[in-house]
Amino acid sequence: MTAFSAPAPDTVCGSTHCITCGDDGAPMIVVSLDWAIGLAVCRGEDGDESSVEIALVESVAVGDELLVHAGTAIARLTR
Amino acid sequence: MKFVDEFRDAELGRALAGEILSLVEPGRHYKFMEVCGGHTHSIYKYGVDDLLPANVELVHGPGCPVCVIPMGRVDDGIAVAHHDGVIFTCFGDMMRVPGSEGSLLEAKAAGADIRMVYSPLDALRIARDNPEREVVFFAIGFETTAPSTALTLKRARMEGLRNFSVMCSHVTIVPPLRALLESPDLRLDGFIGPGHVSTIVGARPFEFIPADYGKPVAIAGFEPLDILQAIVMILEQLRDGRCEVENEYKRVVPYEGNLKALEVMAEVFELRPHFEWRGLGFISHSGLRLSDDYADFDAERRFSVPGVRVADPKACQCGEVLKGVIKPWECKVFGTGCTPERPIGTCMVSSEGACAAYYNYGRFAREREVV
Repeated sequence: MTAFSAPAPDTVCGSTHCITCGDDGAPMIVVSLDWAIGLAVCRGEDGDESSVEIALVESVAVGDELLVHAGTAIARLTR
Repeated sequence: MKFVDEFRDAELGRALAGEILSLVEPGRHYKFMEVCGGHTHSIYKYGVDDLLPANVELVHGPGCPVCVIPMGRVDDGIAVAHHDGVIFTCFGDMMRVPGSEGSLLEAKAAGADIRMVYSPLDALRIARDNPEREVVFFAIGFETTAPSTALTLKRARMEGLRNFSVMCSHVTIVPPLRALLESPDLRLDGFIGPGHVSTIVGARPFEFIPADYGKPVAIAGFEPLDILQAIVMILEQLRDGRCEVENEYKRVVPYEGNLKALEVMAEVFELRPHFEWRGLGFISHSGLRLSDDYADFDAERRFSVPGVRVADPKACQCGEVLKGVIKPWECKVFGTGCTPERPIGTCMVSSEGACAAYYNYGRFAREREVV
């Protein structure tokens, strides 16, 4: 697939994007779940894993793709 | 990656650009505002503006949460950060926003314990790990981010964490849009609606735009094809004489929004009577503060803050950029006195800010495939 190419990282922070400050969401895949504390470990596009609040999304399962903003899943990605 | 790659396909981008070209009337100038800073970022990042005919102009709106924070609010944050025993936490971009006497980053260099976090949950973790310290989270952002702060506050209360508080600077999207639509110096033909704010609030809150002001809206995702498709939808509405809120981002945005998020926000926050926006002034009911029920977690009640209004630097034209009256490069200090390394105005700070986005991606030759 021919794709739009990504730009070089920002010279200041080393990132091309600030997903927390911007009203942006990152697609992440659920790796594991801990219902007792309402958190999931999710893996992002870059392979990094982090804890994600899942209280706003119904019935999350391992392997689901979620849209994550500022550490909180705000939607499930569906076609 | 699924949901991402297919929305960056250059072939489809070319096809949509052709569709846009076929929809525009020669001799007519179209001015569309992309409300969200995330869209501004994507437009410059992927060169979406280069695919548009000369008579389709994109105007950058006020939807960058960092860019709308006034200097006085930064001063308030720094004042809290300087209290004894305080660990002050905030998102990365917020660190570099200039206040009247420097930024949070400079306050950190001067000795204040200021730490960058990626989420309010990170701030809560710091509070948990430092029970002898007061941990304050500087909460900024639109309705996309506010639920995250609200859930964290509920968690703090549930855990009985008494050393955690929030300096709430969350804002809401509809009041500034209404203010812009009332502005006599801005003529717009349509809006590219904010994708992730709409994930939370849904499409309904934007219905006043076609109903009261006769302008089409297309809520869009953040990939280049999303933005191009939204422009097609707006142009089709104009061609057909229709005027409504359409949803290009249905894969994420439900019409009614995220009801759980709206519920938790209603529980934790209440509207401020007015809130100051950089460049737009005070706008009624446009900011959130903690409800009385969560007053114990309100940093502004726990610590004294100056709360002084500070005028923007004279040379800075962020206000006009935020209103879409001028383009970033038309500002007197763009790229000279004001750069991402040494920003004067907030629009040059955040990667979502129109000035920084243009500076980073537009000023220098883009090495991308010709589309």
